Amino acid sequence: MAYHDDLIQHAVFLSELNLPHEPKQVDLRRAVSAAYYGFFHLLTTEAAQNWKHQGQRDRFARMFDHGRMKTCSSRVSSRPLPVDPAALPVATDMKLVADSFIKLQQARHTADYDNSKVWSRTQVWEMIAQTQDAMAAWSNIREEEIAQDYLLDLMGSR
Amino acid sequence: MTLPRGVAQPTELIKRLNALQPFLSGVVNLRYTVDNDWSGDPALFFWITLSDEAARQAVLPQNSRRIMEFITQRLDPIGQWDLIPYFNFRSQSEQATLKEEVFG
Repeated sequence: MAYHDDLIQHAVFLSELNLPHEPKQVDLRRAVSAAYYGFFHLLTTEAAQNWKHQGQRDRFARMFDHGRMKTCSSRVSSRPLPVDPAALPVATDMKLVADSFIKLQQARHTADYDNSKVWSRTQVWEMIAQTQDAMAAWSNIREEEIAQDYLLDLMGSR
Repeated sequence: MTLPRGVAQPTELIKRLNALQPFLSGVVNLRYTVDNDWSGDPALFFWITLSDEAARQAVLPQNSRRIMEFITQRLDPIGQWDLIPYFNFRSQSEQATLKEEVFG
């Protein structure tokens, strides 16, 4: 199983620990972080696949910066959807991917750094579901030009 | 630097947010705060309490998606108010235990 899938499974596992009793905050926070990193690694691994030299792909994947990825995703997210019905499904999936990336990144930042924030299972399950939706949307469009442009732009190339 | 419209015109924003009522089915309470996100971008944080039924794990994804789409379409936080929307959901029984002020 791919690393990003393992991370999502790990997020689900952590979120369900101690059921039916109250969850521990540490488990919920780590679950949010794992979900974000699942999506992060999916995208950076996909981008690295385009690098010709296989032995350098892990190094390539480490070049991504969270802030630049957010800037790129915000640009995609704020684009209006196309009027052309034929272009709509791909653009809608692309927007879902970019929107989800922004939201998951914010959640991960709060989970990892803001000790004043209290998490609930519902919040975490919603974040995990959003990650799974975004991964499914990515799977639909990954070979499309708009998706490949997004991967390149995630590096902050423009 | 130009202020985001949602910050420069708070009264207008509140008016539009109030117009989101009556809440969609499954929503028990909806609150919001305007703040910067982790990278300093202006943002609109929604704190939404759902009924326990609407927050069940099996139906939560559909319900949260429906609510987020409704708010995004009605309000257009990025396009109209220059604010990135962030959504946080919690069940009524969770909020009864946690009593977090931001959820109301």
